[in-house]
Amino acid sequence: MICSTNNPAIKRYNYRAAVVMTLYVVFLLLAVWVFKLHPPTGVAAYALAVLPSLPIVGMLVVAGLYLAEEKDEFIRNTQVQAMLGGIGGTLAVTSVWGFLENFVHVPHMDLYLVFPLFWVFVGVSMFVVKLRYR
Amino acid sequence: MKSGRKSSAFRRYKTRSVTTMLLYVLSLAITSIGFDHFRLTGLAAYLLAILPALPILVAMVVVGLYLAEEKDEFVRSFWLEAMLWGIGPTMALTTVWGSLTKFAHLWGMDLFLVYPIYCVFVFIATAVLKRKYR
Repeated sequence: MICSTNNPAIKRYNYRAAVVMTLYVVFLLLAVWVFKLHPPTGVAAYALAVLPSLPIVGMLVVAGLYLAEEKDEFIRNTQVQAMLGGIGGTLAVTSVWGFLENFVHVPHMDLYLVFPLFWVFVGVSMFVVKLRYR
Repeated sequence: MKSGRKSSAFRRYKTRSVTTMLLYVLSLAITSIGFDHFRLTGLAAYLLAILPALPILVAMVVVGLYLAEEKDEFVRSFWLEAMLWGIGPTMALTTVWGSLTKFAHLWGMDLFLVYPIYCVFVFIATAVLKRKYR
């Protein structure tokens, strides 16, 4: 979301995001590995299934903290616009694809892909917003 | 918030929203009846399937128009905050549910439900923020 800078809020965001994303990769590999080799059952299965999504939730907290800590109103405003553009694009795709799945049985899109899709649209929106204010 | 509700931008938003939601109900009924009574294939099936998604896309444009037209800075930032708060729990829910579906074989959730879920969370955020700014 943010490139290198001297802005302390962005620095903290980059650091926290790196930690959370590292945790995501570790938890995801762990979950895939355990489900493949020793498939758990009951509560253990649910707990392990939820494990990779925890850093994702953490990433949302990191983004929220950044918006709260960012002192530069202009930068904050561009990030907010990019995030709103991101949710708009995500909801458009999930609505269209959801109805296509329901009525014409196109390939199923897994629900956990909604979050990466959101960030792709945030990236696209950020590009558009930057072009607008250039 | 009361002044925002009476603003001409909000009145236009309400009229457009109601129109869009009526179109949504109508298009959903047309699509359901179409697929129930006719054996649709190819392009016709795809077009009819995405028909109910179109008013949803228009609803997002309606929100964007309202944010652009709203002159009251406080009301505008109030809605922006509520919309941002809606993103977090929506992404958290879809990610957790997606992981549970993928790994623990929990029943899948239809993708087109992401939009109403987001709206519910924005509504909850609105209620919380109203209390905060009361």
